[in-house]
Amino acid sequence: MKETPQEKKIYQDFRPGKLTKEGFLGSDTRHVHEIIEEDKRTLSQLGIEPETIADRMQYFIEEGKKGLESNVDLGDFTVRVNWFRGMLPCPFGEPNLHHKITAVVRNKALNQEITFTQLGVHLIGSHCFFMGHGNRFRLEPDDLVKFLKIN
Amino acid sequence: MLYKIIIATVSMASISAILSILLVIAERYLANYGECNVTINDDEEFRTQGGATLLSTLNSQKIFLPSACGGRGTCGYCKCKVLEGVGPILPTEEPLLTAEEMKENIRLSCQIKIKQDIKIEIPEELFNINEFRTNVAMIRDLTHDIKLVRFSLIEPNEINFKAGQYVQLQTNPYADVKESVSRAYSMSSPNFEKSHVDLMIRLVPDGICTTWVHEYLQEGDDVRIIGPMGDFYIRESDSEMILVAGGSGMAPMVSLLEDIAHRKIDRKITYFFGALTRKDLFYLDEMAEFEKKIPGFTFVPALSEPEPEDEWDGETGLITKPLEEYLQKIDAIKCQGYLCGSPGMINASINVMKKYQMKMDQIFYDPFG
Repeated sequence: MKETPQEKKIYQDFRPGKLTKEGFLGSDTRHVHEIIEEDKRTLSQLGIEPETIADRMQYFIEEGKKGLESNVDLGDFTVRVNWFRGMLPCPFGEPNLHHKITAVVRNKALNQEITFTQLGVHLIGSHCFFMGHGNRFRLEPDDLVKFLKIN
Repeated sequence: MLYKIIIATVSMASISAILSILLVIAERYLANYGECNVTINDDEEFRTQGGATLLSTLNSQKIFLPSACGGRGTCGYCKCKVLEGVGPILPTEEPLLTAEEMKENIRLSCQIKIKQDIKIEIPEELFNINEFRTNVAMIRDLTHDIKLVRFSLIEPNEINFKAGQYVQLQTNPYADVKESVSRAYSMSSPNFEKSHVDLMIRLVPDGICTTWVHEYLQEGDDVRIIGPMGDFYIRESDSEMILVAGGSGMAPMVSLLEDIAHRKIDRKITYFFGALTRKDLFYLDEMAEFEKKIPGFTFVPALSEPEPEDEWDGETGLITKPLEEYLQKIDAIKCQGYLCGSPGMINASINVMKKYQMKMDQIFYDPFG
């Protein structure tokens, strides 16, 4: 897919050392558009909208905030939110800013844990971007749907 | 048919090439703003090549506006009043400006570019902010994720600041990070020791600056800092001071306590410090020393998730619990609050303080976003 000069400039912000140390693409060599398209296809097969996933993740962030960095028990899940000082912009170039929040959610039944950020929730909900493979915050859409018990 | 395809392809390529040349020419001439005048407070004036942001232009003249994000437009600290010479408010400024500020022509200096003569107003005290060349004298682990770093000042070799203020630390390029970034950190060193600056820096996952400090910075490295900045400092009064902090929020509190002990200020001070487990607690010996040096000082650490091996017999629960239990026993309306830590902890503590009638104009903190 052809990139406009503006897109080229924007996608620089996905690279390591621009907005975050590791950037957003990990070791994935695909273009951002291709990563998004593949994840969209996965979600389409599951019949799930990215906004639904983002809403569920945001719920955990909001509940976790109440714990002031301690674990919060939510029945089938626990969540711990670390809220650091400062803000991060969206790498897609939108003017909105996002708090530096990291959430660690544990699904007790699966005995699994995932970690995501406030910016990551925005990227999923607004851009269907789950990060590139190899990125520390990459979440596989189908695994995430199961983990969050969205079905 | 083939002939038509070749003609079409050549035509498209020619049009693209012409448009590209026009764009280059336009950028060369239309984006050349020439020399512009910058007038500050109707008093100081200098000429500069147009095209750069107001913040970087001022920095090049050694005039430093506060900034916690290093000019990325994410902290909103570098606001200044622009009297003339700038266009309408940009979408990147809107999230960080109130309606009132917009009316008063307050702008984010890191976002607006100088394209013509410009007149601005900045507070006189900002002229006290300097850029310092420093050398890393010491790096020490305080906890598993917080380091204490001492920067010896080389040029200038002295800093004058109010206990509680912060500096901007500028990273050196490392690994994949090719550009320098700057972030704000409160000073923990006493303000009467002017030859060095101590910072407590907590590792932020995937953070550019904190990863540099924790994994790349070495003793002996040369580093630049800019400061002092910030409105977090002791307000003179006889009222009790309620200090609340967590994690690296300890830093400005140590500086405040050093200043209070040094000046022998006679005030009641109660300091609530929150941590998860014993391994997240630090400076306990220093706090015990302050309790000896400052007659009215009490340190109240609380663990929210003490481990059995911690053998903890102090306060437990979120830091807001002992804070609330204490405020309901005293005449909180007369107290001053000093807060430093995560935004979540600050918000929760403010809510408790407001519940017990503490006045918002007597609660002090640097939100840093």
